[in-house]
Amino acid sequence: MRLLLVEDEIEIQSFLRSSLEEAGYQVEAAGDGKTAEQLAIDGQFDILIVDLGLPDQDGISLILKLRRQGVSAPVLILSARRSVDDRVRGLEQGGDDYLTKPFALAELLARLRNLLKRNSPAGAETTRLRVLDLELDLLRREATRSGQVLQLTPQEFVLLEYLCRNAGRVVTRSMILDQVWGMRIQPDTNVVDVHIYRLRGKVDGKGQTPLIRTLRGVGYVLKDR
Amino acid sequence: MHSAAWRISLWATLAFACGTMLVFVGLHRFVADDIQRRSDAWLSGEVEVLGDVAERTPKDALYGRVVGEVAELAGKEVPNRLAAEGNENDSVFFLQMGSDSRLKLWVGAGNGAANLKAIEASRILPDHPSDLHVQGFGVPFRVASTRIDDGSSIYLGLSERDELRVLNNLRLRFVLLWLLLVLFGFGIVFYTTRRMLSHVRRIADAASTIGHTELSARVPTSDRNDEVGHLALTLNRMLDRIESTIHQLHTITDSLAHDLRSPLTAIRGKLEVSLSAAMDGEQAEPIVSAIEELDRLTDFLNKSLDVAEAKADALRLNRSEVDLDELLRVMIDLYEPSMSEKGLEVKLRSGGPLRVSADAALVHRMIANLFDNELKHLPMGCAVTISLDVKDDAARLVMEDDGPGFDPEVIPHLFERRVKGKASNGHGLGLAFIDAVVRAHGGTATACNRGAHGAQIAVELPVAAERHGTLAGAAGA
Repeated sequence: MRLLLVEDEIEIQSFLRSSLEEAGYQVEAAGDGKTAEQLAIDGQFDILIVDLGLPDQDGISLILKLRRQGVSAPVLILSARRSVDDRVRGLEQGGDDYLTKPFALAELLARLRNLLKRNSPAGAETTRLRVLDLELDLLRREATRSGQVLQLTPQEFVLLEYLCRNAGRVVTRSMILDQVWGMRIQPDTNVVDVHIYRLRGKVDGKGQTPLIRTLRGVGYVLKDR
Repeated sequence: MHSAAWRISLWATLAFACGTMLVFVGLHRFVADDIQRRSDAWLSGEVEVLGDVAERTPKDALYGRVVGEVAELAGKEVPNRLAAEGNENDSVFFLQMGSDSRLKLWVGAGNGAANLKAIEASRILPDHPSDLHVQGFGVPFRVASTRIDDGSSIYLGLSERDELRVLNNLRLRFVLLWLLLVLFGFGIVFYTTRRMLSHVRRIADAASTIGHTELSARVPTSDRNDEVGHLALTLNRMLDRIESTIHQLHTITDSLAHDLRSPLTAIRGKLEVSLSAAMDGEQAEPIVSAIEELDRLTDFLNKSLDVAEAKADALRLNRSEVDLDELLRVMIDLYEPSMSEKGLEVKLRSGGPLRVSADAALVHRMIANLFDNELKHLPMGCAVTISLDVKDDAARLVMEDDGPGFDPEVIPHLFERRVKGKASNGHGLGLAFIDAVVRAHGGTATACNRGAHGAQIAVELPVAAERHGTLAGAAGA
């Protein structure tokens, strides 16, 4: 996957580059709009990360310019601004995504994956998810572990489904809030932890290998190995 | 608006009507006096001539005829005379009264007995014409008299009928003219006032639509260099200043946010990178707590800036339809496990879907804050009741608990920044943020203690997107 990172802050650029490379992306970086424009038109990129506050031009103008010149790769917009510009909303509706700074790396990676998935031809919709001995029947909304049916509430099922779809990858609390409850909020209480704790109580029975792991300061991960 | 134009026109017309009426009354009096003065002069002259004639004419058989002829001739030269209806001249009479108060000579309509009686009843001084009411005549006579040497008195009477007819005529014309003038004046005043006020109304209409979000609009101006034109210009200049102030505030908060968020992003990223490198617990612990601190700091920064903007009425809203009922159910679903973990019970009383026009992200955060607030401050075993209903076009959300309530000392300042109870470990922004969001939507937030036990926070949000300012205010003056 070729990724173009357009970010003028050197520090952010460097840690993003290393993290993205670690995640398997082939990263090219640009510190200003002009360089970014040349790179984007010359090289074939699968995805772009564009910061809105570039030194020489506005990030959105850059994206619109690239779109006019035939660059159709999806864009993840990074914004340190307070309000979300109407134009960002327009781009969001056009298939791009945005993330406000500061962000968790896990969330950045998840959004990149989503953007790439959206742009690739959709495979047949699965009706079953399977992670190790955990199995989810998406039609009957039923989860089983080692053949044993788990007594889950509808909400717990949605949460487990989200974890399964991202099995092996870190999901953060705000990602869970966004995807499972549909809210971009930052509660200053441990509401998500309690949901995970309850779910874990049902999924990881006595004597079974714990599947749901907490990565403190980062989020959660459903083990797939 | 209508009423203002009506009121102004009515008062102006009233003043105009009174003024013109006074002018007409003055004119009328002048004309009436003039007519009377003329007829008095004629009467005095004629009665003198008649007195002369009566004195000089020998008192023989022809006396009556001679004086009578002269009197009749005089009667035909009456000033202001209108054609009499009949042949008989009843507008003038001549009467000679002997010293024995008996009728000596009479020229005029009828036999003169009633006139004589009236003359006897009133005292008419020679050379001073005065009014005489004679029985049988609707209109008084103006009578002049003179006394001649043989002791008899001569009276010459002129009916005021013609004079009154002239004056009546004049009054009728005056009244018609006056009515026309008043109506015309009213029309002009009403038209101009309405035109002027309609301009004010357009300004008020435009001003009322200029709300939190749409500060770039301006009220309509006119080319006229009058007060209304000035009003519009002044309003627009004021809006310019407000817009530039708000713009400045946005620039400051944006650049502050940007300047703080960029290093925060870099720090957070580096911490995460080092966290993934340091897998064992002991090394990871400080990094984890640093990331958590950093996230709290970010949240604090966001809330502070939101509260600061909201206090200045400059919070930018991105409105959409939000179903509060559904939102509360999702929130309860989210918070219920944490609350029951703490032994708290939560109940919702709602009358079904309730949609308001609001900024979804802000309202989500605001309601999450309400829940966080309860979760953080309530001791074990308390109950929280949330009720949602509509009252006077406003959605009313009330959150009540049976906990210890607010610290009485802080109640008056609950919604201010950095105010918190002694026991609270938050940064004192939660309630200020709730208030800020609610106010930015044109609603109100109130907090109080429920008697001895429990706290209550009530939030009211307008159901429809509100328009700022009302027309009534502008039209009231």
